[in-house]
Amino acid sequence: MNLSDEYVNLSYEEAMKELESIVSRLESGEGTLDESIALFQKGVELSKLCSQRLEEIEKRVRILMDDGNGSKKEADFSETGVSDASEG
Amino acid sequence: MSAVFSVSDLNRYVGEVLAADPVLSAVRVRGEITGFKKYPSGHLYFSLKDKESQVNCVAFRGNAAHFSFVPENGMSVIITARASLYDRDGRFQLVVYDMEKDGIGDLFAAFEKLKARLEAEGLFDTAHKKPIPALPRRIGVVTSPKGAVIQDIIHVLSRRFPNFDLLIYPSAVQGQTAAGELKKGVEWFNRSGIVDVIILARGGGSMEDLWCFNDEALARAVYQSEIPVISAVGHEVDFTICDFVSDLRAPTPSAAAELVMPLKSELVSRLDARRGQLGRALLHSVTVRKNRLMALAGSRALMYPLRRAEAEGQRLDVLSIKLSHALARRIDTSSRRLEKNIASLDALSPLKVLSRGFSLATDPQTGSCITSVTQVTPGQQVRIQLADGSVHCKAEKVQAGRNL
Repeated sequence: MNLSDEYVNLSYEEAMKELESIVSRLESGEGTLDESIALFQKGVELSKLCSQRLEEIEKRVRILMDDGNGSKKEADFSETGVSDASEG
Repeated sequence: MSAVFSVSDLNRYVGEVLAADPVLSAVRVRGEITGFKKYPSGHLYFSLKDKESQVNCVAFRGNAAHFSFVPENGMSVIITARASLYDRDGRFQLVVYDMEKDGIGDLFAAFEKLKARLEAEGLFDTAHKKPIPALPRRIGVVTSPKGAVIQDIIHVLSRRFPNFDLLIYPSAVQGQTAAGELKKGVEWFNRSGIVDVIILARGGGSMEDLWCFNDEALARAVYQSEIPVISAVGHEVDFTICDFVSDLRAPTPSAAAELVMPLKSELVSRLDARRGQLGRALLHSVTVRKNRLMALAGSRALMYPLRRAEAEGQRLDVLSIKLSHALARRIDTSSRRLEKNIASLDALSPLKVLSRGFSLATDPQTGSCITSVTQVTPGQQVRIQLADGSVHCKAEKVQAGRNL
């Protein structure tokens, strides 16, 4: 299922906040059945988004180095050492 | 005639005079260290000299252990000491309690002055502090790429959240150029906008070593940063201007890594808990409504239009299909209860009600339910729906009032 446009830009934090508000609204038992169903579906969608936010971060450690033109470029940072370009 | 002292008595007497003197019992002396020797016992022996004179000093192990630096020959220091006479050879000496580097007082005064000025200007205002994101997608750190600090940060981040994303802006963290480089790091991250949070990190050191973090221009860059900044400088006891102006102060670099990245396992279990709540809340909500509806349909059907029961029944059918899709994967324990609930929905079917002898009158022209005598005029066609078929009738007479 694709995430609806409403949610696609939410951060983990925002999605979790929204999800928790939906859970408590649903738990209050107010509103019509249709509203409860809609809340449930939103909640399922938000929980998927939260999972996605947790997993989509790419594991990497990078270091900025001078690119020779006065700008910076990224390079992998090895835990054993670092290239002399970063001498500072 | 005055009394004749023995040598021992004389030395003891002089020692007592020195000890009783209010100035000499806690005197601060400025000078340069010379002839420094550390004994295996841990006691330190040295002399303090200036251009004309020198004086013997001893720092016993217990006091020496608390010095904030290791003394060396040639260092300018200020000691706090009491004067004493070493009985055995009648030698005057200072017993040192504390030692600080000369010039620290000036540094400290400068620090306090800058701190007061920036505080008055509002740079430390809590209202200006930005919240640290709950889950930074990418973390920027300005620090030395060498040494233990960056390794500690990487180690802690890996433990808390295995798929973290860290970008290092390498910078000197002590010396003349350090403040400028640190400032450039903060500014570079702000220009590029590719991190969610910035950590300024440095390991422990002397007050002079940490001095670059008391730089006014750096403080202003931190204040102006659009990206939240965590300062993580030195040890828990060290405070710098950066600590006050940053959005969050971490006592150490490792602590900064703890603060910046949540424990992934905790986030995952929190999410699981919310999913469970979601499923249970919906099921509960359906059950409550079903029970309400059953009560209506069972005991007070006549008082309520049958159409409503029919409509609700249909919605429940649709709902039960949706529910079984949505819940099937997630809520194993609940699904048995759900099936039971769906089965009992059958009892609400309009057919069941009709089979008990009730019937439904509709207008064959519009198809709508007839729920009031005002909807019928004599001579009008009326369709009566029974459990096993329908009867098409013509209204002969319309009479208001209940006459069952």
